[in-house]
Amino acid sequence: MDYTIIQKYLQGKASNEEKEQLFNWLDESTSNKDEYIEIKKIWALTSREENVEGKTWSDIEPSELKPAKTKTLQHWLARAAVFLLLISCGAIGGRIISKIVETPVYSQMYSVISPAGQMTNIELPDGTLVMLNSGTKIQYSGDFTDGNRQVYLEGEAFFDVQKDVEHPFIVKSELLGVKVYGTSFNIQAYPEDRAFTATLIEGSIGILNTSGEEVTKLVPGEKAYFEESETNIDIRKVDTAMYTSWKEGLVTFRNERLEDIAKQIERWYNVEIVIQKEGLGDERYFGTILKNKPIDQILEVLKLTTSLEYEIVPRANEPSLIYWK
Amino acid sequence: MSFYDSRNILYDLSSFKNGEENAFKLVFENNYEKIVGFCCQFIPDREEAKNIAQQAFVKLWTNREEVNTCNGIRAFLYTAAKTDCLNYLRHEKYKLNYQQNILEKREKLLNQEILESFKFDRLEYMELEEMIQNALDKLPEKCRQVFVKSRFEYKKNREIADELGIALKSVESNITRALKILRKELKDVLPSVLWMF
Repeated sequence: MDYTIIQKYLQGKASNEEKEQLFNWLDESTSNKDEYIEIKKIWALTSREENVEGKTWSDIEPSELKPAKTKTLQHWLARAAVFLLLISCGAIGGRIISKIVETPVYSQMYSVISPAGQMTNIELPDGTLVMLNSGTKIQYSGDFTDGNRQVYLEGEAFFDVQKDVEHPFIVKSELLGVKVYGTSFNIQAYPEDRAFTATLIEGSIGILNTSGEEVTKLVPGEKAYFEESETNIDIRKVDTAMYTSWKEGLVTFRNERLEDIAKQIERWYNVEIVIQKEGLGDERYFGTILKNKPIDQILEVLKLTTSLEYEIVPRANEPSLIYWK
Repeated sequence: MSFYDSRNILYDLSSFKNGEENAFKLVFENNYEKIVGFCCQFIPDREEAKNIAQQAFVKLWTNREEVNTCNGIRAFLYTAAKTDCLNYLRHEKYKLNYQQNILEKREKLLNQEILESFKFDRLEYMELEEMIQNALDKLPEKCRQVFVKSRFEYKKNREIADELGIALKSVESNITRALKILRKELKDVLPSVLWMF
């Protein structure tokens, strides 16, 4: 390779034609690429850009920043309250992305919260698409971009993971985790449910215990279910559409207890449900619900096949209270 | 004038850690141009590159208590700059996905790869700094003069040619020669990871 071209390129003087030549040469072999990378590293480390504006430290010194001494979760949560930025409100069903970006420490932590009553779509820095269901929080650290593709999930999310064989994508939650290389799957792990459900749509995922060891693998169409009180992970073939239909605003209940359904409704609509009638919580419901409908329509549907009666009590500055009786 | 002249300045680490204005000013003066220069190699937008460099100093300021040696200061600054450049490029990659031409995309991806392969681990960085200095010292005189003027004195090739009374072509060939020698000298400390194709 003619070094004049490399030099011109480094000095920002190469024409498009010369750039093409350089890139073609890089494609020819790994050793060419390595050679260029070494040169570029030397170039970058010996670079200086004249401070023509005469910037001084006083120009950029932050006025009130205090050194961050602790990096505990409480610390993040405290900051989270202050620096919650609402970035965008979608038109459909009011999606809200809340992003906490204020992080004056070395390794940044990012978290995205999809509040109760909302669904949120995000794209992680590696191109992985994540759809967060209501009342869900996902966290990842600033070195995510350095190949540490690890997220911590509280709640339910659908993942479409960008393929990267070198860097496994890991989802951790309180009970279990999963490890993948590029696939799409759904995970439900709301802390209050004390249970974990992973449903695989395509690809392959490994289920991890809390120490990060792989305990089993799923093939497409399988669902792994684990309850904190149990010792075994239950794996079975399922109709995956039932577990991912929430993405389309459809929710399918499979003979679920009204008490569990109530928990989900609380998350979607940001309401508080109090079950008053004895035994009502144990009644079961089977059917599909359109999540985007007003809550009274949903409750009417539940009423059709259960003994449910309800009363909605709106409250100012607080989630509405709904009595099931 | 050498690139690492500032290594002879002994920062008073305790006054730096205590957040004393003057200690920090010194650190800023000795490193700002280098960090901006580094960022400019990866971020085409000059203003953005400056922003990222300035943020690196803000991060250093907020985390000054964690820095334990004078050499750690520069390693910290480069690491912070690297991380933010990468974040910027990755973000930009998706923003521009559909409008960018193929050449620009390839440049960006290559720059990301290079940034990722930098390891500014404190010890490694100290060694690297020293080796760059040693390698610079080993360059033949003319070659070193040209390289130093071009890289550290913000001189254009034309200006160097005039100052040293040599042909423009000779300036270019001396820079090339310097790069080749530096690469040979530094081969062991600039490990490139294995790239996946």
